[in-house]
Amino acid sequence: MSEFERDPIIDKVRDTLRSAPHVAPDQRAVARVLSSVWESPPPSGWRRFFNTWRVPALSGLGAGALAVGALLIGFVTRGAVPSKQQPEPLAASGAPTGEYPVQTVAFDAALVQTQFVFEHGEAESISLVGDFNEWKGEAMPLTRMPNGLWTTTVPLPPGRHVYSYLIDGTLLVADPRAPKSGDADYGNEGSVVMVFAR
Amino acid sequence: MDDPILGGLAWRGSEQREYPPKTSLMNDSRPASSIDPTLPLRAKGGDRQAFAQLVDVMYARSLRFALHMVGNREDAEEAVQDTFIRVHRNLERFRDDARFEPWLFRILANRCRTVLEKRKRHSVVIQYGDVPDRIGAVEETERDWTEEVYKVLDTLPAEQREAFLLRHVEDMAYEDIAAITGVGMSALRMRVKRACDALRARLTEVMRDE
Repeated sequence: MSEFERDPIIDKVRDTLRSAPHVAPDQRAVARVLSSVWESPPPSGWRRFFNTWRVPALSGLGAGALAVGALLIGFVTRGAVPSKQQPEPLAASGAPTGEYPVQTVAFDAALVQTQFVFEHGEAESISLVGDFNEWKGEAMPLTRMPNGLWTTTVPLPPGRHVYSYLIDGTLLVADPRAPKSGDADYGNEGSVVMVFAR
Repeated sequence: MDDPILGGLAWRGSEQREYPPKTSLMNDSRPASSIDPTLPLRAKGGDRQAFAQLVDVMYARSLRFALHMVGNREDAEEAVQDTFIRVHRNLERFRDDARFEPWLFRILANRCRTVLEKRKRHSVVIQYGDVPDRIGAVEETERDWTEEVYKVLDTLPAEQREAFLLRHVEDMAYEDIAAITGVGMSALRMRVKRACDALRARLTEVMRDE
């Protein structure tokens, strides 16, 4: 560090900024990140191609020809390729449509990827059950992380959902970190998650 | 002058919360030590455990930088998560002889810039209660000082804040900062100097009052 940067005020600012935000190692946050990484779609073939492809040196003429070619391709394909992928309709996604199928099938909002993290050191298997999958235990299994956390990310329609965790296929446990549902859905006491449209 | 992004609301009416106890990282004035150089290569080779270790080692430091840059925890966590997703997707591009930290910070700084740009475009007004959740459990006088530091930091132009944080908080060499930001070293030195001048000018009095 050069001399002009040495300054008691700057030193104190630096110490403050290094220590003040509470960013202690957080296993739960790390698990969330890892879960998102594993569940994010792998790079497409094109992305792989561009990841490994190195741009060759081009002469001015070559670059011009490439630009003209790209323009031509653009004009030819214009209108033939949909500009934006439409969100998958709920019914087509296989997600439960709930008590009012007409309302949810016609609902045009995109599903929201919602992550669930649950801590349980001894279970052999854990599934997410709730009003969004008619409390069926096999539909949404959680993945065990190396640190003892279990996690899954599922697409849910915006709104209020009641859920629980099914431990080893037999024991229903509410999420200790989430608010409890006042009502019993399918006879099960559950936790509540609010999903907001992005 | 009110910050164009935070609208000057950031520190008024902020709710004082009960913060978790200090941790070893909070007491450590130095940035986290460098990572094991074999980790990125193992992760590149498809070793999930190695990638998990990379995230584990770099998460706190990345979140701290993002918090300082974007000012609120939700955006910072999203930027960090997005960064690691991009790092994982692009590991194939990571050169075997390159250093991982500047590469990670280059992606992270880009994500933070995107957050700030998006905020400008949508003219988001930061509400009371959404203020930066950055102050830990500290004494009252220390809290005043810390709040002042953040006030000044938030009024710095984003590019000065970024350069200052990378240089002084993350302790990076100018060569690395140039690679991260894509800005020449003399311009970077000027940004850091201007940030230092602003901090010095605004904080000298506060320090004297302590």
